[in-house]
Amino acid sequence: MLRITGGTVYDPANGINGEVRDLNVEDGKFVSSVTSGRTIDATGLVIFPGGVDVHTHVAGGSINFARAMTPEDHRRTQAFIRSQTRRSGLGGMAPTTFATGYLYAGMGFTTVNEAAVPVLSARHTHEEMADIPILDKSCLVLMANNEIMLDLLEAGEYERAKHIVAWHIWAAKAYGVKAVNPGGVAAWKWGKDANHLSDPIEGYKNTTPGSIVTSLAKIVDELGIPHPIHLHCNNLGVPGNISTTLETMKHLEGHRAHLAHLQYHAYGGDDWHTMRSEAAQLAEYFNAHPNMTTDAGAVLFGDTVTITADGPWQHLLYKLTGRKWGNLDVENETGCGIVPYSYRPSNLVNAVQWATGLELLLLIDDPWRVFLSTDHPNGACFWRYPEIVQLLMCADFRKECMAGLAPEVMNRITLPEINREYTLYEIATIMSAGPARALGLGQKGNLGVGKDADIVIYHQDKDIARMFGHPRYVIKRGEIVIEEGDIRETPDGNEYLVKPSFDPGTDEFLRPLFEDRYCMSFENYPVEIERIERPEFQQCITSE
Amino acid sequence: MVLVDIRETKSVKAADIFLQVRPGKDFELITILRAMIKDQPISETQIAETGLTMEQLQDFVSRMKAARFGVMFFGMGLSMTRGKHMNSAALLTLAAEMNAFTKFVAMPMRGHGNVTGADVIMRSQTGYPFGISFNRGYPRYNPGEFSTVDVLVRGDTDCAFIIGADPGATMPQPAIDHLARIPTIVLDPHVTHTSRLSRVHITTAPAGISAPGTAYRMDEIPLPLHPALESPYPSDEEVVRRINETLMKKPDWMGERPQILQTQI
Amino acid sequence: MNKIKLTLKKPPTVVLEAEVITPDHLVERSNEEIRASVVYHGKRQRRLDDFFDIEGERSDCVEIHGDLHRVRHVGRGMTRGDLTVRGDVGMHLGAHMSGGTIEVFGNAGDWVGGEMKQGRIHVHGDVGQQLGAAYRGSPIGMQGGTILIDGNAGIEVGMRMRRGTIVVGGTARDFAGLQMKGGTIILCGGAEIRTGAWMQRGTIVSLKEISLMPTFAYSGAYNPTFLNVYARHLGTLGIDLPCAEAEGSYKRFCGDRAVPGKGEILIWEPAVS
Repeated sequence: MLRITGGTVYDPANGINGEVRDLNVEDGKFVSSVTSGRTIDATGLVIFPGGVDVHTHVAGGSINFARAMTPEDHRRTQAFIRSQTRRSGLGGMAPTTFATGYLYAGMGFTTVNEAAVPVLSARHTHEEMADIPILDKSCLVLMANNEIMLDLLEAGEYERAKHIVAWHIWAAKAYGVKAVNPGGVAAWKWGKDANHLSDPIEGYKNTTPGSIVTSLAKIVDELGIPHPIHLHCNNLGVPGNISTTLETMKHLEGHRAHLAHLQYHAYGGDDWHTMRSEAAQLAEYFNAHPNMTTDAGAVLFGDTVTITADGPWQHLLYKLTGRKWGNLDVENETGCGIVPYSYRPSNLVNAVQWATGLELLLLIDDPWRVFLSTDHPNGACFWRYPEIVQLLMCADFRKECMAGLAPEVMNRITLPEINREYTLYEIATIMSAGPARALGLGQKGNLGVGKDADIVIYHQDKDIARMFGHPRYVIKRGEIVIEEGDIRETPDGNEYLVKPSFDPGTDEFLRPLFEDRYCMSFENYPVEIERIERPEFQQCITSE
Repeated sequence: MVLVDIRETKSVKAADIFLQVRPGKDFELITILRAMIKDQPISETQIAETGLTMEQLQDFVSRMKAARFGVMFFGMGLSMTRGKHMNSAALLTLAAEMNAFTKFVAMPMRGHGNVTGADVIMRSQTGYPFGISFNRGYPRYNPGEFSTVDVLVRGDTDCAFIIGADPGATMPQPAIDHLARIPTIVLDPHVTHTSRLSRVHITTAPAGISAPGTAYRMDEIPLPLHPALESPYPSDEEVVRRINETLMKKPDWMGERPQILQTQI
Repeated sequence: MNKIKLTLKKPPTVVLEAEVITPDHLVERSNEEIRASVVYHGKRQRRLDDFFDIEGERSDCVEIHGDLHRVRHVGRGMTRGDLTVRGDVGMHLGAHMSGGTIEVFGNAGDWVGGEMKQGRIHVHGDVGQQLGAAYRGSPIGMQGGTILIDGNAGIEVGMRMRRGTIVVGGTARDFAGLQMKGGTIILCGGAEIRTGAWMQRGTIVSLKEISLMPTFAYSGAYNPTFLNVYARHLGTLGIDLPCAEAEGSYKRFCGDRAVPGKGEILIWEPAVS
């Protein structure tokens, strides 16, 4: 049992905005009162619900490939030394599994959503997630380039496609559906891309990226998956892609959707020389369409490694940087590319990207619909989130940073005209309550009675980055895991799963197709539920 | 299918074209190809040392560029001959550069056993695939310094724990001599060459036959192992876990160390 | 002159990691503090005086005696002072150093001067592999300074180096100047195969005939003027680089075309007398 008294509480899920409240915890959950146990005097301290990351890449084949590609970064980063009770690890651009848990918890995050898992290697993703200490986790299965599903959509067999999607969610032991560059990854297997929403994709007559988007959004809604379709739009990172993104949003009308890392999809201009931010235009449309949520995918200057299932983009980046490049193809399902990258303020394109991410966060009115993310590790590493919080809360600091940009950037961005400063309440929304709600995790990002007791306690500090980078306490399900920068306990986290219903005949429908196309036996394809070490089931939303 | 080898192997039957490269000239051949795909001038005489002709290589390059999806498979003939990792690096670079023209990938044909699995797990937990030292309490990587064969040949270790491998049969003599000199512990379903020179051999259940687990295919796809038979012996995992539990009861030998090191050595 | 003298009592049974043996660490410490410095013998922390007799204190002039072939990281990251080793020394000698000098009267292990930035290393005996090279995965090796080796060197001399000078008195093994980006390597005793493979820029000078990669092209014989300047500089270090036209000329090869790179390999051809 634990009592936390006198702290200034920010709990957007319950509309509590900076009020002094006591919190009581028993058996990992908030209760109305406790009779004994430790008391933390939080007088003068700030209390948030534990952070929730709606979009990150911390486990699985692609981040693991990135680890292999960047030994030079592992050497220069911080090292976590093992003890009798704690495993060792390395931080940096692609932290190791154990270090991922320590680093996220170290800045007050307690729940993360791994955004891209192919079924074929899901077994491995779950191994890695089980290794990540402290955090509760969920993952999304990649569907938009699955050839069996695309064939069904091509043939107009929508109902069957829906069962296939449900089957795959359960087979991967995933929590929802991720769609990456719909049609584009499939085309990349032939060295092509899918650039236009209404053009049939390589190898198909009728199926277009647009039709995949609409069908998948509808399927996810009809299945009642708690988290809506998690969409990485086509033409990521390409100048002028604003038109694609707006068109994609139109294809989503009438459906719930989460648009991932919108920063990478908000560019105007015709090429790299004329590229400009269209965040204002995007935010205007987004503000008027409450069916959608998004995460920023913000960029910070510095070194990182970019990994995405978007193979074509990664090859382009490799050609631009002339640095290392790794590419993975995952049989019929998906693929990914990996390129180490440095974002520089002196680079026009990077400067526009930096500004675009912040503009989106500042121009989207409703903090319940835009969330803090860097698309880790693509825009920046997750452990740099406190720097973004500082940029959002201090307009003066933003101006200071903008002074370091090339002058020709200024007429390509709107950031200099934005004076908005986030409040602590809004930060608690975009960092915890909002993403928890978008993920359909009612027990997270919420300090109400009966919810999971994930708590961050910060010092009040004028240096915002320091305040958010070094919490006084981090509490996970009632257990103190971080105290003044020291790791105290490393409990295992749970994994969130859903089991949408599907036609029991789906197995028999899939088996021959599978055996025809895949090179593993059908029985070995789904991840066995016994392999999930600490599953926690979430209910699907029952319609009507 | 184009087969490149130093001699006519059984695979020649399956190949459409066979290119017989002179032994020890793989690196030169691949480097020439890297130049040729970029239309860099290379002369017939420069090609001659590989044992192939300009005509053969020009044909090869145009076939590669015309392919829609090319795959390069390579094995220990490349990675274990003179040049070693640089031979592999050469092929990987060629594959990467071919993507300027068409889709190309390269894939190593790994050795027997669950090599890829070990590689994958080491990477996720430590960031590095092999050649890792934990002596400072966190992973450090340096092939040549910490890789098994080098450590043994130099005699840098005073104990060896061998699992899923038989270095007594495959490593150079100085490494084998050192294994015999120091206390060596072997976990294996069979009595191996290494067992014979070890201080302790623990018989374990063979994975995939009587012990469950996961094996990784060479494209890093994990496959579950379903045991078909019962075994009186414990699995490797169980033995290692029990050794670990016993070790944990020993007093901490780590000494005073911080939780986090900002600068590594 | 005030000096610190370390004498190895007996060779360590497993590797001893002693990155504390640098002028930077020793110059600010009393004899007692130096004795208590932490070294790693395998996985165990030990005191420096468990292995060494230590005389002197607070000096950046350090002399070490004994067979240190299992002692690694000596002079790592040093920025100043003089370090002399009388005996063999293990891996990573002077790695990441950015100033000062190291002199070894004996042989040294792998990665001598790995990713060094400035300073000078002189090894009178042989050295192992990856002399002045990049560590695995790093894009850049040696970035400045001078390395002189009187004996032979192992594979990958100056791998990915960008600036600085490496002189090998004996023979270098395979891949000397691999993926070089700049700087100069002088091979007095020639090299085995694949010299200059994948080089982008930089100069490799060989005083003996060497076999070249097929992706290098001959581009004439000459006596480059920059070598005169170089020869004078190297002369002060006791190295004789021929450059007079009367003595002969250099055959120039460019490459590596696989990259494609603009590096050059100069091979000395004595005049027929």
